[in-house]
Amino acid sequence: MPETRRSFLKQSVATVAAASVAGCGPDGDGTRGADDAGAAQTVGSRAEPIPLPARTLRDVAEAVLPAELGGEGRERAVNAFERWSDELEPVAELAHPYLVPETRYSGPDPRPGWAAQLRGLEKECRARHGTPLAGMEVADRRKLLARGVGQTGPGLGSPTNANHVAVALVAHFFASPVATDMCYRRTIARQQCRGLDGAATEPAALGAAQ
Amino acid sequence: MSRVIESDVCIVGAGITAAMVAERLAERTSASITIVEAGQRTASLAERTRTRARMLAYGENPYPNDHIPDQTGTGEMYRHMVVGGSAMHWGGAIPRYSPEDFRLRSLYGVGFDWPISFDDLEPYYQEAEERIGAAGEQGPPDCDPRSKPYPMPPLPLSYNLARMREWTDSAEIPFWTQPWARNTEPYRGRNVCQRCDTCAVCPTGAKYTPDFALDRLLAENRIDLVTRTLVRRLTLEPGTDRIAAAEAVNRDAPAEPVELRAGTFVIAGGHAWSSHLLLLSANSRFPDGLANRTGNVGRYMTGHWYVSGYIELPMRLYPGVFVNNSLLSHRFASPGPLERYVRHDLRLWESDVGRAPRLQNGDGRLLWGDEIMADWRERTASGATARIRAYYDVLPDRDSRLTLDNENTNALGDPMPRIDYRPARASLDLEAHTHDTIRGRFEHLARTAGGSVTSTRSSRLYEHPGGGCRIGDDPETSVVDRWGRTHDHENLFVVGAPTIVSSGCANGTLTFCALSLMSAEEIGKGLSQT
Repeated sequence: MPETRRSFLKQSVATVAAASVAGCGPDGDGTRGADDAGAAQTVGSRAEPIPLPARTLRDVAEAVLPAELGGEGRERAVNAFERWSDELEPVAELAHPYLVPETRYSGPDPRPGWAAQLRGLEKECRARHGTPLAGMEVADRRKLLARGVGQTGPGLGSPTNANHVAVALVAHFFASPVATDMCYRRTIARQQCRGLDGAATEPAALGAAQ
Repeated sequence: MSRVIESDVCIVGAGITAAMVAERLAERTSASITIVEAGQRTASLAERTRTRARMLAYGENPYPNDHIPDQTGTGEMYRHMVVGGSAMHWGGAIPRYSPEDFRLRSLYGVGFDWPISFDDLEPYYQEAEERIGAAGEQGPPDCDPRSKPYPMPPLPLSYNLARMREWTDSAEIPFWTQPWARNTEPYRGRNVCQRCDTCAVCPTGAKYTPDFALDRLLAENRIDLVTRTLVRRLTLEPGTDRIAAAEAVNRDAPAEPVELRAGTFVIAGGHAWSSHLLLLSANSRFPDGLANRTGNVGRYMTGHWYVSGYIELPMRLYPGVFVNNSLLSHRFASPGPLERYVRHDLRLWESDVGRAPRLQNGDGRLLWGDEIMADWRERTASGATARIRAYYDVLPDRDSRLTLDNENTNALGDPMPRIDYRPARASLDLEAHTHDTIRGRFEHLARTAGGSVTSTRSSRLYEHPGGGCRIGDDPETSVVDRWGRTHDHENLFVVGAPTIVSSGCANGTLTFCALSLMSAEEIGKGLSQT
């Protein structure tokens, strides 16, 4: 792709992302919440992170991440997602498929859309139910989120491509080595540079002495 | 006015075969060696921890600047144009071809015999394994012949692969550990594999990449490495067929040409760009391109196709323990007498396909949090998935061809390569038989385990491609002799992938390296010995 086209894509992503806000409720107009006053309005890059409304993101996380993570585990997962989001670079050159000479780039910046979704969730909750998202039961939050998510495929896919911030958060967590270990209840430590020792033995049960 | 660079040997391209040739010549001769590379350096070892992290997090290319945007051909080809070449990204699988690959016509009445045998190449296989640092397990000698042990012990079989090998043993198909260009011991100053499982970008240096060899030669002042300099054509000495110079441009100063003069020229540009450079170098004496008096440059482009599948196994495995190791079998690459020709390898990996976490259950209901985890656990508790793949060779047609594409030019106006692969008629006639045979073997393996083949697919992607300058004793049907010396130009060699006659049914890089070392031995004979 010519550099000029890449530059164009980078400069136009905010518009695209804002237009692609899905499921932030009928009143999702991007009104800032109290906790995102510093949200950047410019095109995302590693140098210009677009903070997501922190309080609302955690209220979403409580509804969509496994409860067995516990409060601390959930906070670690959300922090990891926020770091990942802060360092996301839109329209970055992607690893290229085998024997394909063309260059591929990642999509436009999803974060303005995600931030707008979170602000929209809060606004919708207050408008419809007279309460912030945190005041709703987890089951009700899930119903609300399901409406916003709309149609999805069965797979989780890359969080970068998620059309909704709740799906991005879930996809980010379930792609992590922590989630794999939790599923198998074993210390697999996928992609963690573990050394060759221990490769041949059955992974130890989580919590077992190593 | 041109910048002139003179040396005894000029190597065009700085990939793995260039590193092989340069290393051998530097050790055994006192020749001055210049390597000229159109690309530039990419992520150093120190930078690979960071680029690996971003690849994992965002899918980004871990090797920035590994290609030149306007040097893009059409057809299946690697896009890399970078110091280290395609072997920066590679996974490091280094099986040898099988003895049968060199005698297809004699043994099976299909394809072509090579002008050399496996035994001719075997010492160079060993040398390549030592230069790279191969870690491998001796398979059954009748289908994994070798004269010496691997330089390093194999990567350990993971818990998953060990369970899978119990299964394949019961199916009476011998599998052994895939040989790898990854250290299991400290080797030539490089680290031991840390099982990071992102071998495309190895953050520890355990995987061989050519930049290690090139950097060592640079530190020893044994080579000059000229980067960002694109060779556009080779020129002849007046009145002779000897190559006089490589004409190039510095990409940072295109108006200032660079002329590389040398006694011997070695084209190490990989399967696409080597033929391309010869064709670009057409002149009044060689109007169809250098080394192309008989019209064979760019012909017999080849590679292998595959059938792959997934097998459901009634065993508990833990995907992620060591995804980048695998089991290998060459049993069916060395099958003995055949009623009808079919040869292939087999590879097995752990896999999480069909058992990854998902957002919807089988009824299409959206899942959140604990439901996703419960669904995932249920689908991983009682079974596992193995990925299986068989490479089989494609017999090349003479019209399987790389040509210059005048519709696609770079910024300098030079036409880019276009590859139109074409299998020989015999390959097409054998395709259904080959697929049926391979799928039957997948089924046999699955039944033995009490499992089932859940899916298969076939691919016509020409993997590990080569050809275009194939070796041969007869100039009428080949471009270079068995040493890689062009029939038409005594001081011009082509090395590596372009010179193969057929692509076997195994990853090709080790064979490309062995052929390059064989060429380097011949090149060295004309140079002052140390």
